[in-house]
Parts: sequence; C-alpha cells; structure tokens
Amino acid sequence: MTQTLDVRQGVTQLNRSATKSAPTATPAEISKAGVFAITFGITFALMYTVLEQLNWPLFTYHPAVGKLDFWMQRPRSGEGPPMYWFGWLALSGIGSVVVSYIATLLPRLWLYRVTVFCCVLAALWPAFLAGGTFIADKVSFDAEFLKSIWLAGSLALVGAAAISYFASDQRVDRLWVNSLLIVPIGGLIVLGYSLKSYFLR
Amino acid sequence: MDAITDVFFDYISVRTFWRVLQFVHFTMAITLLALVTLQTAAVLMPVQQAAGNFITRVRAAPAAAYVKPIVILYIPTFLLGAWIYIKYRTYVRIPMEQFGHWWTVGTFEFKEHIVSMGMGLLPAYWYFWRQPLTEQHDTIRKWLVVFLAISVWYSFLVGHVANDFRGVGA
Repeated sequence: MTQTLDVRQGVTQLNRSATKSAPTATPAEISKAGVFAITFGITFALMYTVLEQLNWPLFTYHPAVGKLDFWMQRPRSGEGPPMYWFGWLALSGIGSVVVSYIATLLPRLWLYRVTVFCCVLAALWPAFLAGGTFIADKVSFDAEFLKSIWLAGSLALVGAAAISYFASDQRVDRLWVNSLLIVPIGGLIVLGYSLKSYFLR
Repeated sequence: MDAITDVFFDYISVRTFWRVLQFVHFTMAITLLALVTLQTAAVLMPVQQAAGNFITRVRAAPAAAYVKPIVILYIPTFLLGAWIYIKYRTYVRIPMEQFGHWWTVGTFEFKEHIVSMGMGLLPAYWYFWRQPLTEQHDTIRKWLVVFLAISVWYSFLVGHVANDFRGVGA
C-alpha cells in the first residue's frame, strides 16, 4: 500500500513538472481576485480615456515651481507648464479600485451586463456625437440639434441598455473578458486621434 | 518631490543625478524589453522541445516563467519614468516645441497613454498567468502579452528618440 502510494506520488510529481505551464481544458470559475483584476483593467482604461478627454485630473502639478493644485488649473504666468497626467492617473486609479471592489460584491451576471452597458455607452456616445456633427455639417437644412451632446447621450443610453439587456448570457460573459483588450485599444485610438494636431503641423 | 531630490543634490550635481536616474530607467527598460520579447516569442510561436538553434530554444521556454519578473520590473520602470517625466516636461519638451519637433512631442505624449494602459492591465495579466493555466483564457492571455510587449517596445523606441533630441541629464 505504501509503495503504491509512493509510485502514485512520483507519477503525480512527474506530471506536475511536465505540465506546469500547460493549460487545462476545464472551464474555470473566475475568483474574486480575478473579478477585481479584470474590472480594474477595464475601468482604468475607460476612466483614463474619459478623464483625459474631459481634462479632469485629480490634481495639477506645476514642475517648474514644484507646486500642486487640486483639480485642473490652467497655466499661470511665471509658473511654467502644468502637468495633468499624474492627476488623471491618480483619479483613474482610485476610481478603478472603488469600482473593482464593488464589482466583487455583485452577482456575476449583473456584473457582466453592467460592464457591457458601460463599455457600449462609452463607445456609442462619442460615435453618435461625431455622426450627428458630421450630418449637421453636410445637410443643406438646419440640423444643429444633431450636434447636441444630450441627444447623442440619450440615443447612446437607449442603445447600450438594449444591447446589454438583449445579449445572451454567454455573449456578455465572453464580452466581459474581451473588454479587457477592447477598451484599452479603443481608448488608445481615441487618445491617439486627439493627438493628431501634433502630426498635422 | 523636490525634498527628495534636494537630499541627493547635497552629494552629487543636478546633472549627474538626472543622468544616473535616466541610466537606471534605461537599464530596467532594456531588461523589461528582453523579458516581454522572450515571452511574446514563447507565446506566439511555441515549440514543444528545446532542441535546435537559439531561437527555437527561446520559443520553447515556459512563457509563464516570465510573468513575475515582468510585473516586478514594469512597476518601478513606470514609476521611475514618471519621475523623469517631470524633468522632461520643462527641460526637454519646451525646447522640443521651440524647435518644432512636433512628431517627437506627439509620439512621446502617446507613450504616456500606452504605458498607463499597460499599468492598468498588469493585475489582469498577472491573474490570467497564475497556475494552473486554463485553456478557456488562452486567447486573452496571449493578447495581453502582445499588448504589454507593444507598449514596452513603443515606449523604449520613443524614449530613445526623445533622448536623442535632449536627455534630461544633458
């Protein structure tokens, strides 16, 4: 009996060393740490992009004089250029930690649908606004109302609600994990586009 | 931040301080670059056996082995870069704008975004590479590696170009 056990242990150890980095086929339940990590990745990318676009830093640092101001401060005479990047990072970091903690308390399906809702809303709102502005500039009649941020927001809200409500459980589950890459890449496209003035001079 | 640097300035010159800081940042970045490149090769072109030439042996290395060093190195490299960025903003970027090097300014601005996104993804990257690895998350695991590799390579190249214009310790 003892020998059998020893042999088994040996085989187990051999298997363990041989397959240490080989993936297992069993579908794994994502732990709370996983929920926190994934939600953090999605939320951080989303918040960082939005805060940068709106220029809402937690604080402004003036490197020439070593001064720190709360929230966003415009450049002041004799104080050199202000830095907002640290403020965006801090606010997105803190916000993402809070949101990720809340995410660990939510039922899984709710979490998936809320994440999909937020991501779709973040994508549709600027898309509808850009589309509305484009149409308003092209048509011959007065269509200035299409440039309204609130009209675009309302349409995006309806679209995001519909998509997150009607999407199947498997689809939102898959989309939740995939958002981990979709959101940062989408964010980088938006952030890169907003830098176009540097490349078109 | 000024209080920290003032302590060093009692012993070394301002120029030497920033040079040392940038050299440490550079060394860490090179190591990180090597690690993410090796992991990307192991993930995108895996081979079962370590036989053959150097490239094949690199591809056969277990990709999971790189995760801890990458996470451990990415964070201080990012923080050190953030510290140097303060000096860059006044000492390098202003002359860069005065000389009209807008492409360098723009690409460096994008660097701050891409490394931030990489920082945000680090917890998930660490989570998906924990043992035992699940086949279910193979794709996301692979693309997280690629994303981090792109962010590190981009940052390294852009940082190098900016340093060619004017280093913070120049």
